[in-house]
Amino acid sequence: MAKTYDYLFKLLLIGDSAVGKTCILFRFSEDAFNSTFISTIGIDFKIRTIELDEKKIKLQIWDTAGQERFRTITTAYYRGAMGIMLVYDITNEKSFDNIRTWIRNIEEHASKDVEKMMLGNKCDLQDRRQVSKDRGEQLAIEHGIKFMETSAKASINVEEAFFTLARDIKAKMDRKIDSTGPSKSAGYQLSGKDGSSSKKSFWKSCTLL
Amino acid sequence: MDSNFPSEKLEEICDDECQNKTRIFCQRCPSLVLSPKQAKLVKKEFFLPNMFQKNDHTPIEGVTLNDFWLVTNMMTFDNVGFSKAVDNIMYLICADCEMGPIGWHSIDDKKAYYIAVARVKHG
Ligand SMILES: Nc1nc2c(ncn2[C@@H]2O[C@H](COP(=O)(O)OP(=O)(O)OP(=O)(O)O)[C@@H](O)[C@H]2O)c(=O)[nH]1
Ligand SMILES: [Mg+2]
Ligand SMILES: [Zn+2]
Repeated sequence: MAKTYDYLFKLLLIGDSAVGKTCILFRFSEDAFNSTFISTIGIDFKIRTIELDEKKIKLQIWDTAGQERFRTITTAYYRGAMGIMLVYDITNEKSFDNIRTWIRNIEEHASKDVEKMMLGNKCDLQDRRQVSKDRGEQLAIEHGIKFMETSAKASINVEEAFFTLARDIKAKMDRKIDSTGPSKSAGYQLSGKDGSSSKKSFWKSCTLL
Repeated sequence: MDSNFPSEKLEEICDDECQNKTRIFCQRCPSLVLSPKQAKLVKKEFFLPNMFQKNDHTPIEGVTLNDFWLVTNMMTFDNVGFSKAVDNIMYLICADCEMGPIGWHSIDDKKAYYIAVARVKHG
């Protein structure tokens, strides 16, 4: 069957435990359906299709576990990852400090040209804030990566963050293709034959039918 | 609706080559799972836990379903979620509202992903 997409990006969410990675990817539990069966076994990854510049992009997004005892497993996920969301919790100073450790971890285990983005999650909890937006921005500038504050709970910037990361990966890839000419090594761009395109918006909340 | 699909209805949703004529959506929300002509209708018996069981005090209940859309490459899906594997089976769910299981995949067969005809909306 014909390929139905133009690009395929594997993305990872990493960061300390409890910063909200699972909620960012898998929806905040309140309006998710959560059948007993599915919530007991948990979700591994999701495939999402978005459109950028009239190109269909498939995102395969993986959640990882932040706890120390899972770190070695987490690094196995780095293989083949093209984009990484580094998440901290704006109400937890420690999770922000640890971003540097996570960046080092990425440099050690992920592909050299992996696209990174930093998210300060739980920005709905202003009264419990420990990390100012300024400090987030500074750290991001220091590492030359993009930054956004998000709230998985209030659905703030989550969709935008994934679009931004996808757009940056695509731009990087397009530059590579431009400079080397279309070749196998240019990787994941696939000549797409589009069946029918969906105008469905990404991460929009569900309406009960 | 969690029963098997009436066979006269099957004709309405698949074309001459047994591929899906229409788009395939989640039953609960507008999430697009598959675009037209991406899956093949197959007969296969498989037990899927119920989607609406919200009570965790009772054992897992479910039904054996017979009609599935078969997809051979996971990247064919427009939007879908994969559960963690239980006994080598990953269950498929709606990527948006997480309703499911709407299908399954055995990690022993990398070229087979099944969506239950009775658990999605066609159109
Ligand atoms: N207020 C608020 N709470 C959030 C937000 N995101 C996540 N949480 C809560 O933070 C807690 C941890 O969220 P998880 O998504 O499980 O954290 P995680 O990063 O996946 O943690 P690990 O799986 O242990 O690595 C949960 O109790 C969530 O309800 C948010 O944006 N705002
Ligand atoms: Mg988690
Ligand atoms: Zn849904």
